[in-house]
Amino acid sequence: MRELLNGRIEPGKGPVFWIVGALLVIGMLFLPGLVGRYTLLNFNSFLLMVFLATGLALLWGFCGVLSLGQSAFFGIGGYAYGIVAINLADSPWASLAGVAGGIVAAVVFAALLGWLTFYGHLRGVYVSIVTLVVTLVIESFLNQTAGPQWKIGTAHLGGNNGLGRFSGAAENIPSLTIPTGGGNSLVISGSSPTFYYVLIGLIVFTYLLLRALVNSRFGVALAAVREDPDRAETLGYDIRLLQSMTFCIGAALAAMSGLLYVAWGNFITPSVFGVTANVLPVIWVAVAGRKSLAAAILGAVVLQWGAQQLAISGGEWALIVQGALLVLVVLLLPEGLLSLRQQFSRMRDVRSNSLKSQSRQG
Amino acid sequence: MLLSVEKLFKKFGGVVACDNVDWSIGSGETQCIIGPNGAGKSTFFQLLTGRHAADHGRIIFKGGDISRLPPFARANRGIAMKPQTLGVFPELTVEHNMRLTLQRHMSGAALRDAIEARLADLDLAHTLNRQARELSHGQRQWLGLGMAIGSNPDLLLLDEPTAGMSTAETQRTVDLIHRIGATGTAVLVVEHDMAFVRQLAVPTTVFHQGRIFASGTLSDIETNLDVQRLYLGKQGVAKLRN
Amino acid sequence: MGDIISFAYQYADSFALLALSSIGLVIIFGMMGVINMAHGEFMMIGAFGASFGFQWGLPLSLAIVTGVFAATAIGLLLERLVIRKLYGRLLYSLVATWGISLVLSQGALVLIGPSVPSLPNPFGTVSVGGMNFSVYRLFLVALAIALIVTLWALMRFTNFGLHARATMTEPDMAEALGVRTTRIYMVTFGLGAALAGFAGAIFGLSAQIQPTFGAAYTPIAFIVVVVAGSRNIIAGLLASALVLALVKTSFTVGFNILTGYVAMLVTALIIIRLSPTGILDLIGKLKALASRHRSSTKGTSAEETKNA
Repeated sequence: MRELLNGRIEPGKGPVFWIVGALLVIGMLFLPGLVGRYTLLNFNSFLLMVFLATGLALLWGFCGVLSLGQSAFFGIGGYAYGIVAINLADSPWASLAGVAGGIVAAVVFAALLGWLTFYGHLRGVYVSIVTLVVTLVIESFLNQTAGPQWKIGTAHLGGNNGLGRFSGAAENIPSLTIPTGGGNSLVISGSSPTFYYVLIGLIVFTYLLLRALVNSRFGVALAAVREDPDRAETLGYDIRLLQSMTFCIGAALAAMSGLLYVAWGNFITPSVFGVTANVLPVIWVAVAGRKSLAAAILGAVVLQWGAQQLAISGGEWALIVQGALLVLVVLLLPEGLLSLRQQFSRMRDVRSNSLKSQSRQG
Repeated sequence: MLLSVEKLFKKFGGVVACDNVDWSIGSGETQCIIGPNGAGKSTFFQLLTGRHAADHGRIIFKGGDISRLPPFARANRGIAMKPQTLGVFPELTVEHNMRLTLQRHMSGAALRDAIEARLADLDLAHTLNRQARELSHGQRQWLGLGMAIGSNPDLLLLDEPTAGMSTAETQRTVDLIHRIGATGTAVLVVEHDMAFVRQLAVPTTVFHQGRIFASGTLSDIETNLDVQRLYLGKQGVAKLRN
Repeated sequence: MGDIISFAYQYADSFALLALSSIGLVIIFGMMGVINMAHGEFMMIGAFGASFGFQWGLPLSLAIVTGVFAATAIGLLLERLVIRKLYGRLLYSLVATWGISLVLSQGALVLIGPSVPSLPNPFGTVSVGGMNFSVYRLFLVALAIALIVTLWALMRFTNFGLHARATMTEPDMAEALGVRTTRIYMVTFGLGAALAGFAGAIFGLSAQIQPTFGAAYTPIAFIVVVVAGSRNIIAGLLASALVLALVKTSFTVGFNILTGYVAMLVTALIIIRLSPTGILDLIGKLKALASRHRSSTKGTSAEETKNA
């Protein structure tokens, strides 16, 4: 287990890394005590997006698949949560059933889409385009579902107004609600410190789990599939299965963010399937460095915060700046800010090696 | 026969690249396939590895029909290959490259030891943590070869394994291939470089226009007038005579 | 009879929509493999440019030219600054053009506004046999056909076309033979932007022109382009648009618009699944399958005769 956590593929290892990481997490735990309710609400919205970012990093950075369908899984996870929870409105398990439903729905859809793309021998940009088109078509479809006949069980899809708004209060999407026994439930609203702690816990847990995954045999194989799928196949690896599995994991992660988003804000509209929503995680991951899960997490949180600051002060320029940032990163630093650190440490290694050889000669 | 090919046929567009070829190789044998450019050697190679599926015909390996199997399934049955294009992952470390082959059969400390041992065999132990692209061309060829035999295959397919090598490196490759053969692995080398083929000195098959033109021991092939004409043309043969 | 004409009219209209939306993207994708995520924004710039031109007092046709000009200029600028640096790295050019798309659409929103004055639609309706047809839509069909034919002629009969085709299939060889591939790529990208701008300006005659104008056409364009494949641009585009439009129209007439759209998508996905390199190769595979079936039935009887 130790080797899995400290392995070679996810960057960052050794005592310094872990101590700094632990300090960061401990520091984060103090935040709710220091800020107001509104700031916490915002911060929670940044944190819940972390899973979406790590899913994209896993697919793009570690597997080489630029999936533009992560928004589709985000939206499916969110809508499924809402639909299941609304239909089970009388049960204390409505919310948790929604969580399960969200993840299952996304994974099933991902398996189907994976069969379509990877087993259809699609590669590179074709995979990206197919995933993008499917996402956009889902958006178009949902936008047309405004009428009363569009419902699943008791949940009206609501067209571009979204879920949970159709018949006023009758179809409210519940916040995250955990039954605590004896007929009581813990309702965790989106602006509460409890939600914050749940998110931090989930993020740490997911990070460690994914880190072990990418450092394992699976991750070693994934790197080969990313670099040269044909050669990987001749070494005995079922590349299509590996890609599909990773795709499903990425979908589950995106759905996690999606359902947490709906539990956070109690609403969801088809705009989450849109092109703008889809490009934001690509920006976070590209800027921070797609080949590191930790970088993806930090990038997602920092860039969302930054975008919000921009929106407050600079008005409508936030998206323009982010778009420009994406272009600049691709042109100048395609491996993201993380690659700066790697270049720096490589330069340091070269220098220390040359110093060593000099001292030997002297 | 370890692997036999029956009436293998492949057409690309209007060109018949493999024209009803029958061929076989036995356990532990080392064979060579040569032929001028466009003779169909590469296509035949790719039909064996599974990169392309034949239009007609069968490939029987260890008694089973593998004609419709994808490359990874053939690899897992015991057919390993090293492509013409080196077959290593340049952006990954040498250690990672070797691990890819060996991790399918072992884990933990045994895996770590095996990786080091194999790399030591290839004289690459000191490059463990370097990226594969930092190695010299010859070193990369050997790493690719090492990766191919890492799984202890029954059959090893090599596509121009000495491309770009110096004379010394080529000789080393010959020794390496003989050593591999001595462990009981059957080896098929598809080659272009006649000097290497002579050094290898194994039964050889000559391809031409998608068919087997001639086959036999190396000296049979070398003294075969038709083969000479094929490579050198009528005038070339006349010059050779004089 | 009326139903047939009505269907044919809708089919032609669908075809025109698909063809015009995607022709700019097809050129760029077919030539360079670049997926231009800013394609919709080039269409938007064409529409915006035409709107401005018209406001400045230009006659409609010149206003449209203004739109094309604007889109081409921006396209060439972006090719020079961004696209050129990313040749061969297709995923990166997809991501970069995506960033550009965001900058252009949001930039238009911020700098110009949520909408611009619409363009007049000078076309009326024509009555044939008791049915009304929009001349505008018929014009779109004629335009689509004209553009495809012109493009085909350009590729077939001009020097540029020759060099372009060489660069498409064997860029290194073309370069070695003295074709300035960088120049070809630049001109191609400009042409793709121009065609997108043109389509945008033309579509702008019948729609509200907003910064998100192009976004509605983007998914359609992508679907047509991926189904078309990159082997033979013209034939691929034709086959793709004809087949997809047929499916779309059939299901729209049979059910509704939404079903038509979804059916078109499903068909596209099936085609891609069966033949990742595009519809032309799918047709080729089907032909090969048919001929093999025919020859195998012939062959068996020949073998039987031999063995007897």
